[in-house]
Amino acid sequence: MRVVKMKWHAVASWTWDAQDETCGICRMAFDGCCPDCKLPGDDCPLIWGVCNHAFHLHCILKWVNSQTSQAHCPMCRREWQFKG
Amino acid sequence: MTSSSGAARKNLSKIACNRLQKELVEWQVNPPTGFKHKVTDNLQRWVVEVIGAPGTLYANETYQLQVDFPENYPMEAPQVIFLHPAPLHPHIYSNGHICLDILYDSWSPAMTVSSICISILSMLSSSTTKQRPEDNDRYVKNCRNGRSPKETRWWFHDDKV
Repeated sequence: MRVVKMKWHAVASWTWDAQDETCGICRMAFDGCCPDCKLPGDDCPLIWGVCNHAFHLHCILKWVNSQTSQAHCPMCRREWQFKG
Repeated sequence: MTSSSGAARKNLSKIACNRLQKELVEWQVNPPTGFKHKVTDNLQRWVVEVIGAPGTLYANETYQLQVDFPENYPMEAPQVIFLHPAPLHPHIYSNGHICLDILYDSWSPAMTVSSICISILSMLSSSTTKQRPEDNDRYVKNCRNGRSPKETRWWFHDDKV
């Protein structure tokens, strides 16, 4: 018997590859987005520090920009540097 | 007498509001031992009851902490003070101001009201004398017109108590 596929429908799921489930700053799930965004995904990405802690990009930027001197990682207090 | 910068306070940002709601729910499910949140409809000012830990100088004594959140919490630390009467402790001034680094220079947005409470209780519990800081009178006089402890330039010299 021969089957001819007339049309098909792909469904995919994705998740961020972070060790924690929630952002330590806003406490929202990494699979969701930061409180200032509406949709999770590339518009509200995660970002890692050299220390390997991850946050919503928007959240860590707010923290870094609110510091007058060198910001530290909210989790481990090491100097915050974006992982290249 | 305590600083209530209430009138000047701005409304909480969206991230602050969201986080505080989450912290409140988390507190209701799993409150830190020795603390009771006094329910109000004000998300921006929490009043928390502290009971001195058994076996410490403050056992069975009850105090009240007032926690005021800035508009951009958690990027900025909340203002935490003891309401009158403040416990007698070498790092707690008679006007309720607390000399504790995490409330000022060492604040991190990963901290929560719950973790602050635990730090304060641990500070109380490790005290070996019930006395005011040496510079209490001078400091309190300086704060007379309702200055916030967040405007104080603190010196953190003693990590034992």
